[in-house]
Amino acid sequence: MSNWLELSVSADIEAAEAVTELLARYAPNGSVVLEPPWQANESEPGETSTSQPYLTDSTRPVLLRIYLAEHPAVAQTCREIEQALWHLGRLRPVGPLQVRTVSEEDWANAWKEHYQVQHITERLVLVPSWLDYTAQPHELTIALDPGMAFGTGLHPTTRLCLRLLEQQLQPGMRVLDLGTGSGILAIAAAKMGAVEVWAIDNDPVAVRVASENVAHNQCSEPVRVLEGSIEAASGHFDLILANIIANVLMSLADGLTQALAPNGTLISSGIIDERETEVALALATTGLHLHARQRDADWVALVHRHQRPGS
Amino acid sequence: MAKKLMGVVKLQLGAGKATPAPPVGPALGQYGINIMAFVKEYNEKTAAQAGSIVPAEVTVYSDRSFTVRILTPPAADLLRKASGAAKGASNPKKDTVGSINREQLREIAQMKMQDLNAIDIEGAEQIIAGTARSMGIQIVD
Repeated sequence: MSNWLELSVSADIEAAEAVTELLARYAPNGSVVLEPPWQANESEPGETSTSQPYLTDSTRPVLLRIYLAEHPAVAQTCREIEQALWHLGRLRPVGPLQVRTVSEEDWANAWKEHYQVQHITERLVLVPSWLDYTAQPHELTIALDPGMAFGTGLHPTTRLCLRLLEQQLQPGMRVLDLGTGSGILAIAAAKMGAVEVWAIDNDPVAVRVASENVAHNQCSEPVRVLEGSIEAASGHFDLILANIIANVLMSLADGLTQALAPNGTLISSGIIDERETEVALALATTGLHLHARQRDADWVALVHRHQRPGS
Repeated sequence: MAKKLMGVVKLQLGAGKATPAPPVGPALGQYGINIMAFVKEYNEKTAAQAGSIVPAEVTVYSDRSFTVRILTPPAADLLRKASGAAKGASNPKKDTVGSINREQLREIAQMKMQDLNAIDIEGAEQIIAGTARSMGIQIVD
């Protein structure tokens, strides 16, 4: 795990953009702006009901922050930033540069503290692999440690896919999960009775995490995890899950359709609502027919069927 | 039961290029949200603006769900482009790196109005002019 230097500066609202611009010269990967919230009840800092609009308090300083990887020249960089801030401080009030070291461990696993058991449907339950959970007789549990891979079950795209998977999967089906991430959908398919599941991702981190989760759920028999894209899959599939993003779905439309068995079903997700029409059109031009759609927040999932002539 | 708001974080990142590395990881990890979920959402929402810095406002709730709102480009970026300056002045009290006119100031203020804490367009102009001064960009009539 690598260490980073966290550089923070407070400034008033008018100087905030200039300070951010200055800091960004040294941190091309981006910066953070923390504006103080206006709170009606100061006795409960950090918590405001969603029924109240979120407002920022323009009379209080804004905190600007960047991160620099630790390397031998970083002390010199900090001195340069301090000097530039001093010049800015002659025009507007700018606080001193505050520097602290942060470790990747500090944030990479912080979310785990809040990752709880999730009931996705009446039957399907996601259980963090470090928690104990006693399942009800009708429940189907998936033990999951997503690590740094996508697919915690918290995001609308994953939840949409899981719900649609439960509706569409028939025991004995051959399933492809393209862009498997944590392996969550592949494991769910296996537990629902798929006879064979191909879980493919082009990210080696996802492949490692998915393999671990598949093994942890004792699904290594039906699920094979592979690194690559659609070309890594062979044969035809009764059901394809593609929880990716709109651009990738469109570029893979032909390949996905060709990989479908006659009367096969494609569940595509990861589609931001404003791009739904484009994706639906790209899939329709390959000969697929829209069968169903579901929406959750800004995200849409589509269910297409392959109806080959004579099938 | 209404969800409670835990925090709001603004991130300025390259459109379509967010990764779990800093600043995203430490800025959001402390709120307990899954970083890859944000990365996927940000990159998808900003894919069409590749090559620009696009700020995003992340609102985190007590159940660790979050929303991502894409904001207008940073005022500093708009000022840089309008004035032709490559970057802000190292010593803005002494050095000038470029200038914009009142019309350009108003255009930028109008573009940024929805994301600024300003009551009216004059208030927004005042904030943008302050940013310009702090960058060594002059406002000329």
